[in-house]
Amino acid sequence: MAAISYDKPFIRITGLKKSFGEQKTLQGVDLDIYHGETLVLIGPSGEGKSVLLKHIIGLLNPDDGKVELEGTDLSHMKERELLKMRRRMGYLFQNAALFDSLTVAENVAFPLLEAGIRDRTEINKRVQEALELVELGEHKDKMPVNLSGGMRKRVGIARAIISKPDCVLYDEPTAGLDPIVTDVIDLMIQRLQKRFQVTSIVITHDMGSVFKIADRVAMLKNGVIYFIGTPGELKQSSDPEIQNFIAGRSGMCA
Amino acid sequence: MNFPFGILAISGRWFLDFLAYLGELGALSGQLVESIKLGAIRGRLMLQQIVTIGYGSQAVVIVTGAFTGAVFTAQSYFKFKDFGIESSVGGIVSVSLCRELGPVLAGLMVTGRVGASMAAEIGTMKVSEQIDALRVMGAHPVDYLVLPRFLAMVISMPLLISECIAFGLGASFLVGTGIFNIPYAWYWKHVVDHTGLEDVGFGMIKGFVFGILIVLISCHQGLIANNGAVGVGLGTTRAVVYSSLSLLVCNFFLTFFLNYFFPLGSAM
Repeated sequence: MAAISYDKPFIRITGLKKSFGEQKTLQGVDLDIYHGETLVLIGPSGEGKSVLLKHIIGLLNPDDGKVELEGTDLSHMKERELLKMRRRMGYLFQNAALFDSLTVAENVAFPLLEAGIRDRTEINKRVQEALELVELGEHKDKMPVNLSGGMRKRVGIARAIISKPDCVLYDEPTAGLDPIVTDVIDLMIQRLQKRFQVTSIVITHDMGSVFKIADRVAMLKNGVIYFIGTPGELKQSSDPEIQNFIAGRSGMCA
Repeated sequence: MNFPFGILAISGRWFLDFLAYLGELGALSGQLVESIKLGAIRGRLMLQQIVTIGYGSQAVVIVTGAFTGAVFTAQSYFKFKDFGIESSVGGIVSVSLCRELGPVLAGLMVTGRVGASMAAEIGTMKVSEQIDALRVMGAHPVDYLVLPRFLAMVISMPLLISECIAFGLGASFLVGTGIFNIPYAWYWKHVVDHTGLEDVGFGMIKGFVFGILIVLISCHQGLIANNGAVGVGLGTTRAVVYSSLSLLVCNFFLTFFLNYFFPLGSAM
């Protein structure tokens, strides 16, 4: 494992609250994320994992509390200032959110163009590299509509990592993918961490992935961080709720 | 609630919603101005939009202009003949096309064609998180989506209106001289005598303002779309309805305002 420094948080979330109408989604989330670690976010569906991730990158504004990136408060920044901060991060949307007016290669090249890179040969080289990393090298001239759900997701991953960001946020990177591709994605997240010390925050429901890639696991439940610790601690936890979640036991009878 | 207060509450809510809507449009204009000031112009996107908005709308605008010019000529001729001034048809048609029919009809046709597609395209991007994807990758949605459309529109609208007027006048000429046998020279003399550069300017300024209205209203509807396919449909409908209505209302006030600078006749 690459060296992770646990002395100073890279991203610090304090007292984060967010409601949508009557629905109180986040009710005071406190979480520190450190440089170079892979933090996996688990928890029941609809409890605000994606909402938390969107706050980290500033797509949503909190009702209360704040998100700091290396000490800079993101939660009260103007959109144009946020745009610059966001270039340090990559984000994979749950549904990939590819631009359907652009080809796969143009989608993947987008962050590079936005970062001001104009050298065509460099862009083409990096796009090819990123697509080969997710095993889509030969599909670069297709339009997103002509791809399967899993392929779209992998294009989304290529797009999220191409600009070599300091931190990548993955919203369910392996949902809907076959076991082999899931393994490829898991290994890729690990490789990025080892080679470039990329900090990753991963939302997943795949417990296999959790134990394979996580340095720490956080469980979001009822709008707060219900558990945080290493995968080992998660396994050892005596809390029946956590054990049921890991094992996938609903407690219902057939 | 009691009868009179209920009505007050409903109309009050309606009025407040309207003010809120104007506020949102104002905020979008502010962002647009900021985006222009920052010089965030994306040439390629703007050219693409000029092709879609300007080049693509030509056929619609030309047919509209031509048939309006033709039918207006026929109707004017029927009435003017009673007074024995049928040769002056060219003058009235030309002035009307420049000042009112050209800008308004071209504006309405462009609203239907372009406003709807802007709202639908941006709305679909909104509900499929593509707008969030832009933001995540460091591109401001106003810079990337609204500004290129705005610039393309303010460049294209005056040109489209010119085409509408030119083809309207051409059709009027054919109908007037070809079907109703008004002598060429008479027809043309009335057109030239009654139409000045200020009449053409009148239409161009209107076109410019209508272009801004259509872009702001349509893009705004796209950017606020939610609730999936239903929301995009609703946004598209609203974009066309609000743009058309505001265009017609604005046209009335603009006519009085512009007539102060470019007076027509001696009525005011």
